[in-house]
Amino acid sequence: MNWPQIIVTVVTLGSIFGVVTLSLNLQHARGGMINFGIVAYFAVGAYAYAIFTQPAPQGLDQYKFGFGWPWPVALVAAAAAALLFAAITGWPTLRLRGEYLALTTFAFAEVFHSFLLNERRIGNGTVGLANVKRPISDWGPIEEKYVFAGAAALLMIATLLVFRRLLRAPYGRALDAIRDDEVAALAAGKPVQRMRRQVFLISAIPVGIAGGLYAMFTTLAQPSLFTAEVTFIVWIALVLGGERSVYGAVAGTLGLIFFEEVVRAWPFETVRSAQIAASAEHIVTGLLFIAVLRFQPFDRIAERVKATR
Amino acid sequence: MLFLQFLTTGVVTGCFLILATIGFSLTRRVEGFLNIAHAELLGVGAFTTWWLNADKDWHIVPAGVAAIMFTALVGLFVARLIYDPIRERGPAVLLITSTGVAFVIGGVIDAMIGTGIRTLEIGLATSYEPFGIRITNYQLIVVAFAAVVSVSLALFLNRTRTGLAIRAMSVNPDLAASRGIDVRTTSRATWLLSSGLAGLAGVMLAVLATLTTDLPFAQILQILAVAILAGLGSLYTVILSGLIIGIAMDVSVYWIPAGYRPLVAFSLVILVLLFRPEGLAGTRAA
Amino acid sequence: MNDPTSTPTSQTPLLEASAISKRFAGLRAVGGEDGLSFVVNRGSFVGLIGPNGAGKSTTFNLISGVLASDSGAVRFDGHDITTATSDVIAEHGIGRTFQTPRAFESLSVLDNVVAGATSPGESLRAAFGRAWREHESATVDAATETLERVGLAGRADDLVTDLSGGELRMLEVARQLVRNPVMLLLDEPTAGVNPVLQQRLATLLEELHSEGMTLVVVEHNLHFLLALAEQVLVLTHGELLTEGPPADIRTDAAVISAYLGDDHAA
Repeated sequence: MNWPQIIVTVVTLGSIFGVVTLSLNLQHARGGMINFGIVAYFAVGAYAYAIFTQPAPQGLDQYKFGFGWPWPVALVAAAAAALLFAAITGWPTLRLRGEYLALTTFAFAEVFHSFLLNERRIGNGTVGLANVKRPISDWGPIEEKYVFAGAAALLMIATLLVFRRLLRAPYGRALDAIRDDEVAALAAGKPVQRMRRQVFLISAIPVGIAGGLYAMFTTLAQPSLFTAEVTFIVWIALVLGGERSVYGAVAGTLGLIFFEEVVRAWPFETVRSAQIAASAEHIVTGLLFIAVLRFQPFDRIAERVKATR
Repeated sequence: MLFLQFLTTGVVTGCFLILATIGFSLTRRVEGFLNIAHAELLGVGAFTTWWLNADKDWHIVPAGVAAIMFTALVGLFVARLIYDPIRERGPAVLLITSTGVAFVIGGVIDAMIGTGIRTLEIGLATSYEPFGIRITNYQLIVVAFAAVVSVSLALFLNRTRTGLAIRAMSVNPDLAASRGIDVRTTSRATWLLSSGLAGLAGVMLAVLATLTTDLPFAQILQILAVAILAGLGSLYTVILSGLIIGIAMDVSVYWIPAGYRPLVAFSLVILVLLFRPEGLAGTRAA
Repeated sequence: MNDPTSTPTSQTPLLEASAISKRFAGLRAVGGEDGLSFVVNRGSFVGLIGPNGAGKSTTFNLISGVLASDSGAVRFDGHDITTATSDVIAEHGIGRTFQTPRAFESLSVLDNVVAGATSPGESLRAAFGRAWREHESATVDAATETLERVGLAGRADDLVTDLSGGELRMLEVARQLVRNPVMLLLDEPTAGVNPVLQQRLATLLEELHSEGMTLVVVEHNLHFLLALAEQVLVLTHGELLTEGPPADIRTDAAVISAYLGDDHAA
């Protein structure tokens, strides 16, 4: 078991997905919005990055757009694309609440996924875009993969700090009020509609950048990477981390990714036993998710802490 | 002519969707939440049938029946173990929990079945060509089942005590309870019924399609589409809605590439949710 | 929109509802053939009474923006608020409590009141700045004072779920008071409240009234209301049956018969 490699991968992927979980934390735990389609914003960022960095189509390539621009520009494009996608999908859906919002965001993500699978001109269909530029740069004595992990971690920490700052201000309290009782919040002068839209849009930006980083890391932008399963993984990470705190969102993601990577890297004897282990990992994760949702251990602990103060 | 062919397959698809969604609609109305794991129950039904039929050499009919009963029990077990204790937490929490349940059931199926495609040991489909339109015997079976189930269910819900109790609960659980209806037993009956129906749909899926372990979950989107379009109305809206979406999906192939079929269903969901969340039923939820 | 030709003076009514109405699924909840019209004068204490289903809460909902009126107009302090949303109306200076008390359950009692006020740090831009920190302690002080005023000072750090029904209502009042509203709409504030708390509420309302706040109170507890109000509007079937000072209303035959078969504690 190559533990150093596992740690590096966990830090990298954990940070990238941690950003997505942080966005869910902002949207759901504080904003009260259930987004079951968050993978779509992630995918938009990834594809935008790929399209902006890849060379123009030639020969047998079926995709139509490739700008060949430098990666910083492409990351900005990833953020902008996710923001735009959030603005477009947010406009009709933010009027909805609860399960209807969950379903609509879910449906939008599936529509987008289906679109990616079929529209070869944009995303090259099921094959995806494979020439994603990965800036090769060993920083002096530090190997490329560490630089990469560092960059991902930097993005996650930056996102965490920005969100935390926002939530610590009265803005966070207003969000909690809206989440707890929208009618009462309106009666207290909170601009509910505007704030929900702001949260939705702001949280999309880091998700887009994370998507771009993900495309960089995998050098791929492929529909199979962006299925509903991604949405469920970050939701599970959110719940396992205790839903409410930003630190929990990060911890939950890192823990989950660690679990996944360990199972993946474990030297199983047969392909079959590796598959079973992967399925078992799914099952255990799902059970933990259900258990945490039911017993809410984090809320109990928080309450006990509050009571003893 | 091609159009009529698509129309016909659309009806078949619609009938499958009806079978897949009736149970889902039932739990939505009686238990009050959208059970995402319902699609995985289709998988339980489908793969149990496959295992008994292809692996254990059972004839398809007893295999199917056993699969249906097993799925009904699984659904009931899950409901009692996981959903009942958290019922008062509200539909949103139950919805989120059901995605976890789907994850778990999907994982179990994955672990036991593995990757690769699976097909049943049934003869090749025989196709008929009435009026130049091709239809296979298996497709006819799906349509037949949809019709039989619809009629039986209608009779059950209108003529039997349990059925009437279920109807009462789906309209107003508190009122039903105060009228002396045993809520717990009715709830259990609902779960058995709806999971059994999911099992039946799973058997149909196994008969019609080549099975892979991710196929069941892919159905949830069509099921959601049918359920949302149907709204909280009666059985008839589900039937109508299933046919509409099935036909829309297949007929759309006339104009747009076949890969977009699911997209047609999801787009319908979005439109319904945005403009008429009550669906065809037209009555707001209590 | 602000109408420059009608500058609010002490003569013009503070609140003016003209021909407002609301239908639910074809059934008229508020407004007769000509809609519902009434005025509330600045600084007055108005009671709104009527049997169950008369449309009192719906009227509040129409004024405070929870529902949109099907017809007519609502003017407040020179502004047309007919189509405004609740948050905008709250910012105009209308406070409102609800028939079933509402609270922010994840916040403590004190934080509920703090959240009631509009703090500078609530806007996106300000949240990223530093200025809001200075205002925060002032807001907390104002909230603490308000809690004292409604008699909940000792419960500041408690969870909302620990409060009794009556205390929840007082909390709601506090949450609105901290905003210094020009006009306060109270929907059945004494429902489920014990007599001691009722007395405290009555005293509080008298104080607010003497400080110049305009009060409109919906109540079934006529004993409580008729002792405090200057003017009473009587609603039945969504229409204005009559209006007048409490003494007249108390003996009005039509009012009494409207209440027959209903609770008319006097």
